[in-house]
Amino acid sequence: MSWDKVGLPTKLRHWYGDMEVEGYLYTAGIAGEKFFKTLKERGKLLASRCMKCDVSYLPARAYCPSCFSEITEYFEVEPEGNVETYTILRVGVDGEKLEEPVIVAFITFDGVNGGLIHRLGEMDEKDVEIGMRVKAVLKPTDERRGEITDILYFKPA
Amino acid sequence: MKTNIYVKRRVAVVGAGLTLFRRRMLETPKELAWEAAKMALDWAGLELDDVDAVVIGSAPDAFDGVHMKGEYLADGSGGWGRPTMRVYVGGGTGVFTPIAGWWHVASGLFDVVLVVAEEKMSPAQPHPQFVFKHIWDPILERPLNPNLIWIFAMEMHRYMYKYNVRKEDIALVSVKNKRNALDHPAAQLAAKITVEDVLNSEVLVYPVQRLDISPVTDGAAALVMVSEKVARRITDSPVWVEGVGWALDSTQWTNRELAYPKYVEVAARMAYRMAGINNPRKEIDVAEVYDPFDYKELHHMEGLMLARKGEAPILTREGVTERDGDLPVNPSGGLLGVGNPIAAAGLMKVAEIFWQLRGEAGGRQVKKPAYTGLAQAWGDLMQAGTVIVMRAG
Ligand SMILES: [Zn+2]
Repeated sequence: MSWDKVGLPTKLRHWYGDMEVEGYLYTAGIAGEKFFKTLKERGKLLASRCMKCDVSYLPARAYCPSCFSEITEYFEVEPEGNVETYTILRVGVDGEKLEEPVIVAFITFDGVNGGLIHRLGEMDEKDVEIGMRVKAVLKPTDERRGEITDILYFKPA
Repeated sequence: MKTNIYVKRRVAVVGAGLTLFRRRMLETPKELAWEAAKMALDWAGLELDDVDAVVIGSAPDAFDGVHMKGEYLADGSGGWGRPTMRVYVGGGTGVFTPIAGWWHVASGLFDVVLVVAEEKMSPAQPHPQFVFKHIWDPILERPLNPNLIWIFAMEMHRYMYKYNVRKEDIALVSVKNKRNALDHPAAQLAAKITVEDVLNSEVLVYPVQRLDISPVTDGAAALVMVSEKVARRITDSPVWVEGVGWALDSTQWTNRELAYPKYVEVAARMAYRMAGINNPRKEIDVAEVYDPFDYKELHHMEGLMLARKGEAPILTREGVTERDGDLPVNPSGGLLGVGNPIAAAGLMKVAEIFWQLRGEAGGRQVKKPAYTGLAQAWGDLMQAGTVIVMRAG
């Protein structure tokens, strides 16, 4: 039986419910702790390398998903890389029109596998292109909390 | 119901792994999965390259707070670039995961399957209890603002009434399992407690008291399951999966006699037929029975036909289910003692049977010689039964 024609769904007998878990506390994990500590304290990105596969991962991983080795080799990477792909947001998550378009990019870094998704800034949407060089703009050291938004955005390098 | 019990290809468990079970773990769910999976491969003497396929078990996404948990867990479970699937039957998942691993191998599709179960219950705020609230019928039951413990309390009370079971005898299960857990290196709630401690603990929802209940836990467990050909090559002591069974009852739990878990019996009969077991009470040497609450161990023993209806409390009182008894039940310490990271808790039980049948359970090793063991889990809205029977090779 379809009730499309009833119009307002609340005209049917109903019980309003919600899934009332109020929120989640996610841990950064073993490698994540190191990654965000490095970002907060040193303003650098942290990668890790599987010595067996000779493959590196950014953000750092505690284990190699390819061979299952534990990874103990961590190294810092300058927060400067290349735009692998990007998109330009004109409407927000609630469908509202954005006054200023937001540019979001997938950025890869020199000598490591993986990368980050982040916003681009200090540039016009007409100037963004795949392959362009960008570098991170960080919050001042005393405002950084060890989270991905310690990076405000990436700007042209 | 008809089942082809003559499945041609034999399947062996050759390795098991487990993380610590704790209230809050730093590790991400992926990192927990990796720790358990790596330990299982190391136990088997295999490497990730040897793995043909991966089966992941995890209960509601709402615990870890990540949707598509199977896909999310894949890179800590060896799922990169491999045929990988996730299975889910609520609390029954932990035993259903190796059942799915079994059919991956028994079907002839794969020779080496990595089976991983993970649950991280600590992220959900303010309490993971809220996740459970949404298993209820939204129109008939949720308007009454039910709590998960309600349903157990009513089932427990019905069971006590129908078979004239004393709370003191139920409390013995909690005492036994928490004591058994003292020998488990992963255990969260190992303790020496007395029946009086249980009876004097806070009444939460009558007749359920604080010490009748398993805790909230983060953790992961893993198994390596292989074909006979691989098992013969890599080990002298494979543990064969001899029977598997699973069954669902209605979520309309008011349509059931709560004193007896019929769906567990249906699942058990399927597994016993496959394993050629006619008298489970005599033929099962050691059992890991799902015990999120102390009375559930008794309830499930009866559903598994390891005891007659109403007889499990008597066997418990007589010491039959102790580690040195004639039918050791939950020598690991169970969910009450080791902890209850839902899916990982069920798989921990299968891992325990693997270690018991290999004689590798250390301080937890049961006294009697153990050749045939059983693990069972139960879940969803008190309606899913999953059973696995294994034998030492
Ligand atoms: Zn590697």
